Amino acid sequence: LNQNKPAFKCLTDRSDLVDVDGKNSKFVLCQRCDAKVLRPGIAVFTEKELFLPSMKKKSSLNTSEGSLDGDTLMTHWLVTDIFDFENVGITKDVGRIKYLICADCEIGPIGWHCLDDNTKFYVALERVNHA
Amino acid sequence: MDPRYDIPRRAAAGGGGGSANSSPALGAQSRRRKIPPRPADFKLQIIIIGSRGVGKTSLMERYTDDTFCEACKSTVGVDFKIKTVELRGKKIRLQIWDTAGQERFNSITSAYYRGAKGIVLVYDITKQETFDDLPKWMKMIDKYASEEAELLLVGNKLDCETDRIISRQQGERFASRISGMRFCEASAKDNFNVDEIFLKLVDDILSKMPLEVPNKELSNSVLSLQPEPEVPPELPPPRIRCC
Repeated sequence: LNQNKPAFKCLTDRSDLVDVDGKNSKFVLCQRCDAKVLRPGIAVFTEKELFLPSMKKKSSLNTSEGSLDGDTLMTHWLVTDIFDFENVGITKDVGRIKYLICADCEIGPIGWHCLDDNTKFYVALERVNHA
Repeated sequence: MDPRYDIPRRAAAGGGGGSANSSPALGAQSRRRKIPPRPADFKLQIIIIGSRGVGKTSLMERYTDDTFCEACKSTVGVDFKIKTVELRGKKIRLQIWDTAGQERFNSITSAYYRGAKGIVLVYDITKQETFDDLPKWMKMIDKYASEEAELLLVGNKLDCETDRIISRQQGERFASRISGMRFCEASAKDNFNVDEIFLKLVDDILSKMPLEVPNKELSNSVLSLQPEPEVPPELPPPRIRCC
């Protein structure tokens, strides 16, 4: 498994986005349709190594040959209650994983959720906009 | 041709089998946690049911262009969506469940029905059998859903008007026999009436929630929906009327 994409965003970006409590200081929006995913102050900045399938259309979530097109992402917004989202779509199970997508235009995955912990929903910083 | 309305009276709630490992469990767990809602927030569960191919999923999934859904809809699909709407000055979080892929009447677990405050029952105006199936769906609603759940009957595929087989009057007539059931026609393809469907349902649900919101707050705020015509007073109160 070789990931060829740099996973880390530079630190200077982050202070813009994280408030003193470690929460998102801005709205989290869909990159394509601007739908509101999270309001400011809802989610906690978290570092965790998570693999998300590519947002490009031809990538498929069912691993045909074990080679899944996607990115390993390190920085996420952690949401502890699904009802804290303004708008979000949740996919059906892929193993123990559910992916998060935009509720309006359905682009994704923008985030990750494991059925083993019902209080952790991750939204990848690199897959959303902030405003 | 109308289906027969030989539906038993709404049975007492419950009677659902276990479904702990199916996906609705996620919602069930969220419900159980009982975290007090943030100010001006309501959480409502809405489910979309109906026979195969009537367009349930497209009522929930708006776009069908080159998106995630094309890449993986058939393989994964959307389980549910959280959507926030504002109505009567309140923010309401909707959890919308699509039951597509489980259309056999008995395969949709009772967990879907149990927590639903709103149920959208969909048929296809171009397919007689989807309309004929409605009484069977009503049986499921009677068996599993809360008696307070708001019902909305949707004749979908209004964009296929030339292939229409079920007249608008037939749909209206079916809905009018079930107390409190609303009716509309929609086209998920061009999004006609789709947002309105959910807003209408939410508005009905909110109007039934006097205990959780001081009444004056609700009645003082401006309604952003067109008022629906009242159910004719001569209609009997029970939801199901046996013929």
